[in-house]
Amino acid sequence: MNSLADAVVVDHTPPPLARMVIAVLALAGLLISLYLTLYKLGYLGVIQCGTGGCEVVQTSQYAYFLRLPVALWGMGAYTTLLALALAGVHGSRADDRRLGLVILTVATIRVVFSAYLTYLEAAVIRAWCRWCVVSAVLITLIFFAALFDVRRSRNLAP
Amino acid sequence: MPFYLILGVVALVGLGLLARQMMASGGEAATKPVAVTMDPAQLAQVQGISVGRADAPVQIFEFADFQCPGCGEFARFVSPIIKERYVQSGTVRYVYYDFPLPMHPHAFLASRAGRCANEQGKFWEYHDVLYGRQSQWSSQRDATDSFIEYARDVQGVDQGKFRECLRSDRFAREVTENMKLGESLGVNGTPTVFINGKRLPSVPGPKELDVLIQQEVGAAAATE
Repeated sequence: MNSLADAVVVDHTPPPLARMVIAVLALAGLLISLYLTLYKLGYLGVIQCGTGGCEVVQTSQYAYFLRLPVALWGMGAYTTLLALALAGVHGSRADDRRLGLVILTVATIRVVFSAYLTYLEAAVIRAWCRWCVVSAVLITLIFFAALFDVRRSRNLAP
Repeated sequence: MPFYLILGVVALVGLGLLARQMMASGGEAATKPVAVTMDPAQLAQVQGISVGRADAPVQIFEFADFQCPGCGEFARFVSPIIKERYVQSGTVRYVYYDFPLPMHPHAFLASRAGRCANEQGKFWEYHDVLYGRQSQWSSQRDATDSFIEYARDVQGVDQGKFRECLRSDRFAREVTENMKLGESLGVNGTPTVFINGKRLPSVPGPKELDVLIQQEVGAAAATE
């Protein structure tokens, strides 16, 4: 006869580390893009940048994409990544490979866009916004973490 | 769970820094744009501040923000060349339009200050002073006194009249109309430069501008 303890399946599998990393990095990215969005909308006054390049970048015509501030697009992307990563940390979704692929797709789009923005800073605007550079580094790390996560879930697949 | 602890710490630290920054510098912008509704015909009548012959073959329009560093560079390295080389020879008419960006708390006031100087026929002199000292006043909490102080350094400006003008709402409407015109032309960053109605994709340096002006002069000569 089975006891109650035998009947209850306790999941001792550790939560996927890559998704936890993605969630923390996405939260940091979200805060940075929130900062830049608030600055762009005029709520912050002087931006803390050090080099002054942030203002040059943020006041240029390239600070908008499809009529919206680029930082606002960043907020959207990081919020999506944060939500997806949090959803995939525990429970049945922890090993959901499709969720990992969705995260990787969003991260890929964002990393390509970020590379384009970095190119604009280097070659067209000729000024560096340190917050944008930090954001580019964060999204690159998220991309690699997402790649690692997809490989992990592929190895888990029966 | 350490994971949620880390998330919480990142969120708290980030939001704390944001709140601190907002309280420290999100202060009073001395003036803001006024409510203005304009139809296309009215937009066509909006005036910038110009220098040069009205019938010059090349018309250069600049939409600029006194608090924008890129505009500061343009004012220091490109504007003087336009004025000395082309405006004086009658080739170019150069028109300055105000486009203070909302992210710059003193930009609207600076535009009004420029107009107050213009009222006394000293716009371009004051323009050079404002851009030259941009780094000084940009980080101040309230730049009003600095703007009044700078007026004393421009020869021929009556500081009392200037103070009276700046401390009122004078020219708030004109600056707002300039902004509306810029918006209608798709301006969303500064400086934005138009040459004979054609918007330049990026801010030109002296050499690029020289080439563009020569092209326009050539085109104007060919049509005559």
